[in-house]
Amino acid sequence: MDVEVDGSRGTAVVRPEGRITMVNAADLRSAVTEALDAGGAMVVVDLSRCEFMDSSGLGALVGALKAARQSGGDLRIAAPTVQVVTVLELTNLNRVLRPHESVEAALRDG
Amino acid sequence: MSSEFSTAVLDGVPADDERRVVALEELGILGIDSGDRFDRITRLAQQVFGVAAAAVTLVDRTVQHHKSQYGVRLEDGPRAQAFCDHTIRRAETMVVEDATVDERFVHNPAVTGGPRIRFYAGHPIEAPGGHRVGALCLVDDKPRRFSEAERGMLAELASWAQREVVRADELERAAVVQRSLLPRTTPTLPGYDIAGFCLPSGTVGGDFFDWYDGSDGSVVFTLGDVMGKGMQAAIIMATVRAVMRAAGRTARPAAAVREAARTLYDDLQQTDTLVTLCQARLCLQEGVVTLADAGHGLILVVRADGSVEPRMPSGLPLGWGSDEEWPEAEIRLQPGDTVVACSDGLLDIHDGTLQALAEVAGVVARSSRAQDVVDHYRQVAAAIPVLPDDVTVVAIRREG
Repeated sequence: MDVEVDGSRGTAVVRPEGRITMVNAADLRSAVTEALDAGGAMVVVDLSRCEFMDSSGLGALVGALKAARQSGGDLRIAAPTVQVVTVLELTNLNRVLRPHESVEAALRDG
Repeated sequence: MSSEFSTAVLDGVPADDERRVVALEELGILGIDSGDRFDRITRLAQQVFGVAAAAVTLVDRTVQHHKSQYGVRLEDGPRAQAFCDHTIRRAETMVVEDATVDERFVHNPAVTGGPRIRFYAGHPIEAPGGHRVGALCLVDDKPRRFSEAERGMLAELASWAQREVVRADELERAAVVQRSLLPRTTPTLPGYDIAGFCLPSGTVGGDFFDWYDGSDGSVVFTLGDVMGKGMQAAIIMATVRAVMRAAGRTARPAAAVREAARTLYDDLQQTDTLVTLCQARLCLQEGVVTLADAGHGLILVVRADGSVEPRMPSGLPLGWGSDEEWPEAEIRLQPGDTVVACSDGLLDIHDGTLQALAEVAGVVARSSRAQDVVDHYRQVAAAIPVLPDDVTVVAIRREG
C-alpha cells in the first residue's frame, strides 16, 4: 500500500489498490497509523484504485478515522468507486466519511 | 466371519485403543464435509513427492477412512489390511520402500492386487490429547527411496493436517453453539405470520436474528450484522445478541439500540468493529411495527398491492460513537402487508447492488406467506457452493 507523507504541509495520502477485505484490512489500518506517526495529521485515503471494499475494509477505514481524530488530525476519502459509495450510503457512514471527488478536493475542503 | 475379523483387528492393537477411538469420535470429523481444508494438503503432497496418490486417513476401531485423497483412487477398507494402521502404532514416520520384500505387507491385498502398492510412507496425525487417530500417507506403484529430507517434509505436511484436524474440531463445535443462539421455534402470533433464517458463509459468521416477547405484550425482533466474517465476527455476534436481549425486552427500539450502543462501545472500539442492526417491536393489537435502524438500511415494507414504501430514517452503525441517537419509525401494517429485513449477503445473491432490493420486493409480493419468502431464499442460498457473505432474512406479514 502506497503511503506518501508531506511533512511540511502535515498531510498524507494513502493509496490502497485492488480489493480491501478481511485479508488486508489491517494493512490499511497500519498504513494510516504510519502516516499519522510520520507527521501527516490530515490523511487522505485515495480510493480511486480500490475496486472493492467489504465490511472489514469499512471497519478499518472507520477505525482509522477515529485514530486520526484522536491524534488531533482527520481522515478523508477521495474518489471512491460506486460500490464503496453504495456501502457508505447504505450504512449512513457517508455522514462521517463524506466522499471527495479527488485527493486535491479532499485536502482543500474544510 | 465377524469374530475372525475382529480377532484380526485386535491382533497387536494397543490396550488403550478404545480411548484412541473415542478421541477420534470426539473430533467429529468422520463422515462430515470439511470443505477443501484437507484436500489442499493431499494435493500438494501428491505433487511435491510425485507419487501415485496422497491421502489423509483416519483409522477407527475397524475401518481405515480416507478423509481426503489426491491421485489414484484409494478405497476405504478394513483396518487390519491398512498400512496406516502400522503407522499409527508409532510416533515416527513409517516408510516401506518396497512392499514386495517386506514380510508385513507382501501378502497384503493392496500389494498383490489393486492399487498394487510398492512404496508407502506415512506420518501419524494426533488428536489434541495425543492419540494417533490417522496419518498423512503417500503411496506409489513403484518402489522408491525416501530421503531424510523427504521424511522431514512429510512430517511437516502431516503437522499441517494435524492443525486442520484440531481447527476443524474447534470451529465445528463453535458452529453448533452459534446455531443454538438462533431462535429454535417460531412463535404462533394470531393474525401474523413470521419467519426467519440465517446461514453463515463459513462455518460460523457474524449475522444473527432474534425474536422474543417484549415486557408489554409486544413481540421484539432483532436482525444484526457484525461487519467482518468468521470466528472474529462470531464472538462479537454472541455479545451483541446478549446485550440487545437485555435492552430490548423493556426498552423501545431506539432506546434499546442507544443503550446497547453505549454498552458495546468500548468492545467495538477495541476490535475496530461496526455492527449494523435493525431493532423492531410488533404490537399485535394495533398492527404497528416500531423500528430503529442502525446503519442497516435493508428493510422493506411491501404493501398488499405490491407497492414498496420509501426507505425509512436511520442512524449510524453501532461502534461509531457512544453518544449517538437513532430515529424511530412506525409502520402500520394492513392485512397482506409484509416487513422484510435482510443482511447485505442477500444482495450478493442477486447482483450485489441496491437494485437487488427491487428483486427482493418482487419475491415478497409473489409470496402469500412470510415462510415462503424465507424458504425461497434458503433454497437459493443453499444452492450456492460458496456464499460470499452470511445471509439472513426475517419477514413479518400481517395475514389477510
